[in-house]
Amino acid sequence: MRAFAVGGTAALLSVGLFLALWGSPPDAYQGEYVRIMYVHVPAALSAYGAAAVAFGAGALYLWRRDRRWDFVGRAGAELAALFSGLTLLTGMLWGKPVWGVWWAWDARLVTTAVLFLLYVGCLLVRDLADDPERGRRLSAAVAVLAFLDVPVVHYSVVWFRTLHQGPSISLQGVKLAPEFLLPLAVNAVAYLALLSVLLAERARLASLEGEG
Amino acid sequence: MKAWRRVAAVARKDLLLEWRGRDAVLPAGSFGFAVLLVLGLVSGGGGKAAPSALWVSVLLAAVLAAGRGADREGEEGTREVLLLYPGSREDLFWGRWLALCVVLLVLAAGLWCAQVLLFDAPTRGAGVLILAGLLATAGLGAAGTLLAALVAHVRAGPLLMPLLFLPATVPVLLAGVRLSEAAASGAPAGPWWGVLVVFDLLFLLVGPALFELVVEG
Repeated sequence: MRAFAVGGTAALLSVGLFLALWGSPPDAYQGEYVRIMYVHVPAALSAYGAAAVAFGAGALYLWRRDRRWDFVGRAGAELAALFSGLTLLTGMLWGKPVWGVWWAWDARLVTTAVLFLLYVGCLLVRDLADDPERGRRLSAAVAVLAFLDVPVVHYSVVWFRTLHQGPSISLQGVKLAPEFLLPLAVNAVAYLALLSVLLAERARLASLEGEG
Repeated sequence: MKAWRRVAAVARKDLLLEWRGRDAVLPAGSFGFAVLLVLGLVSGGGGKAAPSALWVSVLLAAVLAAGRGADREGEEGTREVLLLYPGSREDLFWGRWLALCVVLLVLAAGLWCAQVLLFDAPTRGAGVLILAGLLATAGLGAAGTLLAALVAHVRAGPLLMPLLFLPATVPVLLAGVRLSEAAASGAPAGPWWGVLVVFDLLFLLVGPALFELVVEG
C-alpha cells in the first residue's frame, strides 16, 4: 500500500511536471513565468490542507489526549510551515519578473507570511516546552489558533483591494483557459497526494521515535 | 464563590500588584514611548506617519505588558496555588483579561497623548479612536492573556511571545491604523470595524477554551 501510494504520487508529480513545462502554452502577459503557478497554487492548497490536518488533529489531541493524534498534528504543523514557506518563495520568484518586485505589501502576501510564522511558532513551542507532554498540548493549542488565519489568507483577495489576483476557480465559475486548467488541476492533485504521503510518513516516523 | 467574584478577585489581585509595583505599565509604557521616538525619527515625524507609529508602539508595548502578569506569577510561585483554587479556570482567564485590558487602556491612552504631542497629530475623530482603542484592547487583551499563559512554561518564552503575538494580532494593527487614518481625514472606514469585531469575537471565544487546556498542570 505504501509503495503504491509513493509510486502513484511520483507518477502524478512527473505527469504534472511534464504538463507544466511542455503541456502548457506561455501566457499572453506573463510569458513563461506562468509555469511557476503550477507549483505556487498547489503549494498554497497543500498548506491549507496541512493546516486543516494540524487543526483537526490538534483539537482531537486536546480532547482525547491520544498520542496518535499528536503524531498526525505534528506532521501537519511541519508540513503547513513547509508548504506556506514554499508558497511564499514561489510567489516571490514569480513576483519579481511579473510585478517588478520580490515583495508587495499586499494582504494575501502578508497573511501568508503570518501563517508561516504561526506554524514556525507552533513547532518552536513544542521543542522549547519544559516537558514533552506540555509541549504537545501547547503546540496543539497554537495549531488550533493558527488555523484561524487560513480563511483570512484565502479570502484576503476578496475582502481587501489587493495586488494579488482574485480566485480563478470559485463557485462563481472558472476564469482559466482549459490549456492552463488541466496542468493546474493535475499538479494540484499531485501536490495533495504528496501532502498525504508526507503526512503519513512523518506521522509514522514520529510514532516510531516515540517522540512528540 | 460565584464566577464573577472569582473573576473580580483575580483582576483585583493583578491590578493591585501592578499598582504597587508598576512593573508592567512603566517598562512597557517607556518602551512604547521609545518606539514612538524611533519611528518618528526615521519617518521624519510627519502627521502621515502618526497613526502607524501609534499603533505599532501600542502593539509592541502590549507584548511586554501581556507577558508581565504570567512572569510575576512564575517568579513568585503563585501560579500553581492559583490553579488549586476551586472553580473554573475560565474565570482565571477572564480575571487576567480584565486586568490586562485596564493596563492596555492606560498604555494606549498615554501613548496616544505622546503621539499627539510628538507628531503634531490631529485630534479630530477622537471618538472613533476611543472606540477603536476599546475594541482593540478587548482583542489584544484576550490574545495576550492566552499567549502569555502558553509561553509561561516554555524555555525562551519571552522570545517566543512576540513571535506568536505579533503575527496573530496583525489584523488589529492594520484595522487600528486604517481607522485612525480615516478618522483624521474624514474618509469612510471601509471594512475595518468589521475586522476588529471579528478579531475580538474569535479571540474572546477561542481564548478561554484554549486557556483551560494550556494552564493544565
